[in-house]
Amino acid sequence: MPPVVAVEGVTKRFGANEVLKNVSLAFAAGGIHAICGENGAGKSTLVKILMGVYHVDAGAIFVDGAPAEIHHPQRAQELGIALVAQELSLAPALSVLDNIWLGDRTVPLFHRRAALRERARRALERVGLGELPLDRPVARLSIGQRQLVELARMLAREARVLILDEPTATLSDAEIERIFAALRALKAEGKSILYITHRLGEVFEICDDVSVLRNGALIGTRRTTEIDRATLMEMMLGRPMGEMYPDSAASGGTAVFRVRGLAVPGAVRDFSLEAERGTIVCLAGQVGSGTTDALRALAGLVPDATGAVEVAGQHLTLRSVRKAQAAQVRFISEDRAGEGIFLRLSVGENLVATRLDAYTRFGLLDRPRLGERARALAAAVGVDRARLRSRAGELSGGNQQKLAFGRSIDLGSAGVMLMNEPTRGVDVGARAEIYRLIRDFCARGHAVVLASSDLEEVLGMGDVIVTMYRGRQVGRYRREQATMHRVLADITHPAGAA
Amino acid sequence: MSEHAAKLAAPPAVRARPRLTGNARRRVVAVIRLGCLAALATWALATPGFTSPLSLVSLVTTVSLIGCVAVGMTFITLTGNIMSLCLGVTLSCAALVFLAALNLGVIAAFALALAFGIVVTAAQGVLVGLFRANPILVSIAALGLIIGISQIVTHGHRIYPAGQGYMLLKGRVAGVPVEALVFFATVALGQFVLSWTRIGRAMRMVGSNPRAAELAGLAPPVVVTAAYVLAGAFTAVCGVLLAARYGSGDMELGSGYDYSAIAAVLVGGTAIQGGAGSVLRTLVGVTVIAAVQICLLLRGYSEQLQYFITGLIVLGVVMLHTLGERE
Repeated sequence: MPPVVAVEGVTKRFGANEVLKNVSLAFAAGGIHAICGENGAGKSTLVKILMGVYHVDAGAIFVDGAPAEIHHPQRAQELGIALVAQELSLAPALSVLDNIWLGDRTVPLFHRRAALRERARRALERVGLGELPLDRPVARLSIGQRQLVELARMLAREARVLILDEPTATLSDAEIERIFAALRALKAEGKSILYITHRLGEVFEICDDVSVLRNGALIGTRRTTEIDRATLMEMMLGRPMGEMYPDSAASGGTAVFRVRGLAVPGAVRDFSLEAERGTIVCLAGQVGSGTTDALRALAGLVPDATGAVEVAGQHLTLRSVRKAQAAQVRFISEDRAGEGIFLRLSVGENLVATRLDAYTRFGLLDRPRLGERARALAAAVGVDRARLRSRAGELSGGNQQKLAFGRSIDLGSAGVMLMNEPTRGVDVGARAEIYRLIRDFCARGHAVVLASSDLEEVLGMGDVIVTMYRGRQVGRYRREQATMHRVLADITHPAGAA
Repeated sequence: MSEHAAKLAAPPAVRARPRLTGNARRRVVAVIRLGCLAALATWALATPGFTSPLSLVSLVTTVSLIGCVAVGMTFITLTGNIMSLCLGVTLSCAALVFLAALNLGVIAAFALALAFGIVVTAAQGVLVGLFRANPILVSIAALGLIIGISQIVTHGHRIYPAGQGYMLLKGRVAGVPVEALVFFATVALGQFVLSWTRIGRAMRMVGSNPRAAELAGLAPPVVVTAAYVLAGAFTAVCGVLLAARYGSGDMELGSGYDYSAIAAVLVGGTAIQGGAGSVLRTLVGVTVIAAVQICLLLRGYSEQLQYFITGLIVLGVVMLHTLGERE
């Protein structure tokens, strides 16, 4: 039997940038096939090609063994290929029923509503939502239920190939279990499922095959029964794990940053922390665990945060960015376009954005010295000097992150660096460099507090690892005590948690 | 049938539309821009009488008057607040204030007009900066308020100068109209603020990314208000110049100026999303708009057609910009 969908020698370029290089893959009926790869590996591009959003520059797509041209998303729908998107595409104000049929071109203008209800009901049953009232507005469903409705929606269209793009990223464990149950049932029905994920655990839990993309090239396809986690990780990273992370030079000096009883209503409860000069404290937790909220609160960004914070023995008032900055507490956001980088300003202007005050006299900028400063910072974070005058928006994610770092380097005196998901949207090549920069911060005497949902990162970087689950601190480990198993157990279903 | 068979036999030749990357696209747009400028210059030089001293003086005067408002508008655009639709009426009102206060002496009248422009516009800046009100809507509200209050105060009558001091603003210094001198000072000041002062840099930062600016320790409300203060001041300056030029004024005095100023900012290429642009770019934009208007007049077209052509240019620039920025 030919594979349901196959791509052969697919290449895709954007300008001079090859985002997919000669990729060949085949997806079998009745199988769950994982596609893994770091950010920027080409996973989303591949999905968009299968969905008819992008068109290949070279290569071909085959459906049921016959060449197919998917030039438009409607064509993908006709062929039975459906995407269950990461960002849900449901209309919150409409009912479950309306959402299931939304955008389905096979529904005639004059349709029998009873028949549609019946078919929608059957589709919902297949994903384990048989009890859900069809007339309930989607806005009243939980995120997990919405994900399942999205899945049912694709089933109602008789989709044969389901593409799931990180379906569990924002879900709770119980919800993830329901998604998995639904996927297993669909696999038994003979559907072909493409499962895009970052989470290696899920690959081994429900997938039959796994293909790894790196920098647009296919590294390989394996049966999940035939490889282990470490091998898969090496395929993704392109090098053994150890080389990714610089050695810890942690000396264990004095605690410069003390937090007692930090609380953010609805997000963080009774959070305490101590960070020493020259060390990295990693806050490990999944989305919604409160790690991000804790960091933002410490940076002065959360208006209703409470708690006692001390920086180098001085009391710090929460809820004010300016006060936090005056106390040498700097925050590096993961949302670079939203609150990190000035995309329409030059690279140089971005680098000196936080130190205008130091180079201003009577309101006038000392531009020669600012330029000098920008050049020095560019050298320190490894941004090409020749790019100082280009727009920051033209830089890659990794280089933009370096700008955000450069801006925080070299405060008057050593301080506290708060960074949230420092490698989100940063490709594998630039990652090691970012990690080295973070260690550089330590070498300069800063205390670093780093929140991450990436376990490898947490274990590779943390001198101290604090695990969080649903707003509460679960465990605290020194580097040598922490294991993948312990941390994972803490952040997924800690003992004693509801 | 045979077509189907042929399709099966050979893998489909799937071709993608040629795509330009951001950089190449911007280069193409820049070339188109320069081409348009060259074409405009040729057309202007071919217009009979365009190079005569009289029309050149007229060009300089038009550039200067629109220019003051456009420079002010540039600051609003740069801080990410799009445009203001009420600078025209602010200009008229500042002119009326100036004329009515001339009995206090020309310097006091000028100061009062300037204060009026600054207060009225800065108030909008506070609403936009501090309360994050939509700048376009605030300017529409201000438009109604300013017209309404001025009608109540003046009863719709024309205002005549209460003193003679304004005459010196009509003259020339070494053959250059005073308007032009004032305008060049305005451009120099505006560009200086933008490039060499902390507040100018802060304006571009806030315009590019207000959240990031806040995280960098700036106070966006203050920065936005400062931009509006400059816009109000420059607009009031234009009002005073116009009042002096015509020797009397009513609320119609500034009509059309805000539109021309918006057109000039757009043609100059200041990013409508904020953050990127300069006063010098706006100077180019103003020159284009004024040159087109004068050429149309010289060629004997009506004033209505000027509006039409300006509209066309704005549309062209907006589309060019949209295509240039699309990812």
